[in-house]
Amino acid sequence: MKRISVEQVCYVRLGTRKIEEYARFATEILGLQRVSTAGGDVAFRSDQLHHRICLTEELPDQQCLGVELSDEAAIEPVKAALLASGFPAREADESECRRRDVRQAIVTQDGSGNTIELVTRPARSGRRYFPSRDAGIEGFQGVGLRSTDIARDLVFWTEILNANVSDRVGEVTYLQIDDRHHRIVLYPSDRSGILDISFDVESLDCVMQSNYFLKERQIKVVHGPGREVASDQVYLRFQGPDGQVFSYVWGMNAIGGGHRSRQFSAKGSCTWGSECTEIPELAAQHAV
Amino acid sequence: MIELREIAYVRLGTPDLEVAETFATRCLGLEVADRSRQSLHLRSDERAHTLYYAEGNPEEQVVAFEVDGEEQLQAAGATLEALGHSVHTGSPNECASRMVKAYIGFRDPTGNQIELVVRPDRSGRRFFPTRDVGITGFSHIGLNTTDPVRDERFWTQVCNARVSDRIGDIALMRISAIHHTLAMAPGPKPGIGHINHQVSTNDDVLRSYYFLSGQNVPIVFGPGRHPTSGARFLYFTGPDGMTFEYSVGVDEIEDEEGHRPRNFGFEPSSICMWGSKRLPKASPSPQPS
Repeated sequence: MKRISVEQVCYVRLGTRKIEEYARFATEILGLQRVSTAGGDVAFRSDQLHHRICLTEELPDQQCLGVELSDEAAIEPVKAALLASGFPAREADESECRRRDVRQAIVTQDGSGNTIELVTRPARSGRRYFPSRDAGIEGFQGVGLRSTDIARDLVFWTEILNANVSDRVGEVTYLQIDDRHHRIVLYPSDRSGILDISFDVESLDCVMQSNYFLKERQIKVVHGPGREVASDQVYLRFQGPDGQVFSYVWGMNAIGGGHRSRQFSAKGSCTWGSECTEIPELAAQHAV
Repeated sequence: MIELREIAYVRLGTPDLEVAETFATRCLGLEVADRSRQSLHLRSDERAHTLYYAEGNPEEQVVAFEVDGEEQLQAAGATLEALGHSVHTGSPNECASRMVKAYIGFRDPTGNQIELVVRPDRSGRRFFPTRDVGITGFSHIGLNTTDPVRDERFWTQVCNARVSDRIGDIALMRISAIHHTLAMAPGPKPGIGHINHQVSTNDDVLRSYYFLSGQNVPIVFGPGRHPTSGARFLYFTGPDGMTFEYSVGVDEIEDEEGHRPRNFGFEPSSICMWGSKRLPKASPSPQPS
């Protein structure tokens, strides 16, 4: 069966009971630009795409990840393929699409129950991105997903869709969809959900400047500054409203066609030696 | 003019040589070149030694610079004496302890003990660090001054140092293309402010940050980045309260003739562009065992 081609990791939608507090965090701390969707939702830009984060008036466990399909014509085939493999799939209605600023969407779930929206023609903005603070954000890198069933999630991402496993650190699985080492990371967990949401920054200086910026504002840095052994990416992970983790990242490797997925020891995911104690899925990577 | 070619070594007194050796090897990552009951020679690069500890008073601190030859050494001695500095010529035993052919010792106007040396020994074997620290060599020091204007005149007019940049009253001075070899900062009395070793990569700086934190070595500043030299840095406390620094990526001044010193205000962002803040200078603190 031909795998369905994925263009990009597009957006996240986050349920929250405190939209204005979240919005303050997204602008004053994260540094994103506030916009609103065609449906009137509070949303945030980090690059040329109309928005990368959309807040919804739902419970914080209502989260979903939007992924753009390369081919508009893939909407029907992807729905059929998902249903055939036992994944739920339904087409989003017009008002749902409008709130997402996309043309069409299939709403589905990966093997762990994370809601994934496969979309076509997400809107770009005609105006350039203008940040709220000088965090040096250059774009949306991707997400970490909690996985209760890595094998089943791999059917979803690498058999129905065309992601590839770039590397593994212990059971943590990095998924590649373009020339970057990864855009999605699956972390073994006892629940589903978005583990972290990553934004590219322009330099190591920006990562380190934010490290001190966040600490001075009592934002809890939960992991890093550190550097991933598998991807070479420098990261800083910190907690926002509802305990949601966000990351600034810089310096990820590109990988070429000849790359063969590697297994790294579970004993350390950071080449500098940073450790995480707050987030069990990240702490597990340092367990000896 | 006294032409300083390169910074050569630092000599420090310490009441506890064993503590100094433990720190220098397990934490700092230097290699023991020679050890006796009263002294310890340590290597950080191709040279036979760049740091020396002797049993004694920790306020005994000496920094040495290499000059071209014995002729230049004698001329330097005469210049200094003419200016009223008392000059000591090293005995053969003193030269042996410094692993040099000849040297003279004197005090700069603040009273810092300075030595000028000729033909410091290199080692035929490469430097092998005691931990994977990435050190590429001893590179510069911070030196106290009780009168920045007077001392800048001494280092730039009697000697050949040039000011690369200033942060308030701190003068960063070079004796080669490297942005600075001498960082002169106001202080109440003579003394070495910090001892810098260069490391190969940014990763080395951050790795040492986590390594030294894990060893309970007090981190006093950083990880950070100096906007003046561009170097990424980490400052931490060693035996007897001495500050050590690792850094990487110090700029070179490419246009020696055309370079004009820049002035940065005396404020935190002039010293660290990442936003780290320097802790007050630590009093001698317990060292890891």
